[in-house]
Amino acid sequence: MIIRIAGRSVPLDRRHALGAVELARAAVRAEVASQSKRLRWGFAALTAVIGLGAIAAAFKVPAGSEVMGTTPAVEWGLLIATYVFLVVTTSGLCLVNSLGMVFGIDRFKPLEMRHVFLAVLFLLAGFGVIALELQYPLRLVFGVVMSPSPGSPMWWMGVVYAIYLGVLLFELVTNMSNHRRLAHAACVISSGWAVVAPVTLGMVFASLVSRPFWQGSFVPLYLVITAMLSGASVLGIVFTLVQRLRLPGHGPDAAGVVVGIRGLLVILLSLVTAYTVLRTVAALTIGSELDREAVSAMLVGPLGPQSWLLRGVVGLVVPLIVLLWPTRRRGLAVFAASWLIMIGVFVDRLSFVTAGQIAPWGAASGIVSGEYASYFPSLAELAIVAGSIAVVALIYVIAERFLDLSSPGGSGDVHGIRASGAQAMLRRRILGIGPGVRPDVGGAAVDTLAVATPVLFPPAPIAPGEGARR
Amino acid sequence: MNARQVASLSRRHLLKIACALAPAAIGLRLFAPPPDVVEARVRSTSTGPTPGSSPAATPLGGSAGPVAWAFGVNASACIGCGHCVEACKLENHVAPEPKYNRTWVERHVVADDGRVFVDSPDAGIHGFPPESTAPGAAGVNVATSQFVARLCMQCDNPPCVSVCPVSATYRTPEGIVLVDQSRCIGCGYCVVACPYGARYLTPAGEASPTGNPGVADKCTWCYHRISRGQEPACVEVCPVDARVFGDLNDPASPIQAIVSAPGVALLRPELGTRPKVFYVGLEREVS
Repeated sequence: MIIRIAGRSVPLDRRHALGAVELARAAVRAEVASQSKRLRWGFAALTAVIGLGAIAAAFKVPAGSEVMGTTPAVEWGLLIATYVFLVVTTSGLCLVNSLGMVFGIDRFKPLEMRHVFLAVLFLLAGFGVIALELQYPLRLVFGVVMSPSPGSPMWWMGVVYAIYLGVLLFELVTNMSNHRRLAHAACVISSGWAVVAPVTLGMVFASLVSRPFWQGSFVPLYLVITAMLSGASVLGIVFTLVQRLRLPGHGPDAAGVVVGIRGLLVILLSLVTAYTVLRTVAALTIGSELDREAVSAMLVGPLGPQSWLLRGVVGLVVPLIVLLWPTRRRGLAVFAASWLIMIGVFVDRLSFVTAGQIAPWGAASGIVSGEYASYFPSLAELAIVAGSIAVVALIYVIAERFLDLSSPGGSGDVHGIRASGAQAMLRRRILGIGPGVRPDVGGAAVDTLAVATPVLFPPAPIAPGEGARR
Repeated sequence: MNARQVASLSRRHLLKIACALAPAAIGLRLFAPPPDVVEARVRSTSTGPTPGSSPAATPLGGSAGPVAWAFGVNASACIGCGHCVEACKLENHVAPEPKYNRTWVERHVVADDGRVFVDSPDAGIHGFPPESTAPGAAGVNVATSQFVARLCMQCDNPPCVSVCPVSATYRTPEGIVLVDQSRCIGCGYCVVACPYGARYLTPAGEASPTGNPGVADKCTWCYHRISRGQEPACVEVCPVDARVFGDLNDPASPIQAIVSAPGVALLRPELGTRPKVFYVGLEREVS
């Protein structure tokens, strides 16, 4: 078998394949050695959280709902809320990016590459969480195709999100390979699909006549608005870090993105706050009895503390104040507000999922709830959620180290002066090229030709002096 | 190609994808074994009567076919002994834990100040203590109290069937809603969609005698029994005939006395699910 690496044909036989294991091990060692102490601790922490999530998942898979906090009265819990959070954030990333790539607002154009990578990550993480929530995820994959049920909103959700993943992967590949026209076409499709997907997901809830709190045509619309909120928050965090850590793509364009996201977050926070107030008033005045009870659960019931404190104060009011506060440190404001908004949106998802079930209409499978049905996430659920988010963070950090996410096609210069020792080692082992140490930036730095990128896509030539500028 | 051309290309692609998907979904539907096949498989092991063609709903919730099974609950007769719950668990291999039940009995206590307390200790399988176990019910002056048996309503318009993404839940031609547990993915959508709380996901491990952990389960009105002309287990063991089962199309069926009784009621009729469990003797609205 012959594989192409950085434009070269490299024969790969059994002997090479065996060597690849050793190569990978050496690559990991070299990569760890090249990391700063702080980054190493970060990686260790993320790996530990992922490990905990993996252990919890291993317990969950055979035991089913036995290790979950759910009951027949509250059958959907934290994992469903996390799934909604992750996949709806995917849509938000695409919608925010569409402001630049589809609607032509220059300030948002630098999002193109990072948004699609994040979108794929968030969507895959969402799929992972829902696969753990389901007892038989493979049956879903085959069942959606072999015994379709077009009358079911969940069937449509499965179809729509499967297509969404395909479109996003296509957009990612065409962006990385710098096929501009195809990438733009994929971007337009994914932007439209970013509305279709949360609307379909919203219909899963909104179509249930037995759950008045979920029911209604505004639920899908609300998911679209909050999708943009969480997507803009993720990009706010990423681009303030790009500026702060001087990652590839930092500079006036990235600063413009942060400013644009600040304005967008203010608008979206205002919309969500207005919707929340109107929705609450409507439920309490003209809503059905169950709707009123569900909203009351969020105001004065068991969901009150998380709704007022985390969703309202932390997720809406404080970020709005932080963003509007006149300060010269706008980047820091966007960074802090984005984190707070992410917490608020996550709690909002959990409140939304549980509030729809917590107000009981009567007994469920013989369980008679009191005023409200009770639900507390189990440790296994919490660990799985933490693990899934840690997976997204870890893979993204690794991608930032190995791939050029600053622009489509990548320049080949991965992370400037923080060049990875693993790349040099891989370069020596695979390509047989010298150590590649760049004397201008010190002994630890090497020629920063990305390894992962050229395996798939031949790199664009580096302009003279480009590396030194970075 | 300029940006405008690219935009039109993407729209074309979008339409192409939509056009390709629609017939593909319809075509794939043809390959799926219809629920009738599964139902026929079940029926092949029984000696019960052959059902007629797919029934049309009647105003009473029955069907216009040869068989229109219906269930009656006489709340004023029920004594809350719990024999029905126990018989159901034994007959249908329902997990022994109190939170997994295909049928259960509730006690509705109305205090003299109008407050209502509902309890169902262990689903009522061991009967009921003299005083309600509902929070806040201790020491209240009881105005009225009655037991209400609960089970699957076998709705004519069942929300649980329409929401299933893989068609694992289906209606038989006689109108009984069943679950093909070999297809169920365990998503819990039907559990959430059922307005009567009649469904649950089966537990894992040793507590799952049916060998299908994590799948949807529900009352089938003992489909394996009624297909052979027998009564559901809960009906058979009821010592006071508070549970009645029969054929709406049979004038001699005991169900006729229930559906023609004054004050016959359905649970949550406003949802349009058209339930086929008829209640008589209810002293208050039950949801």
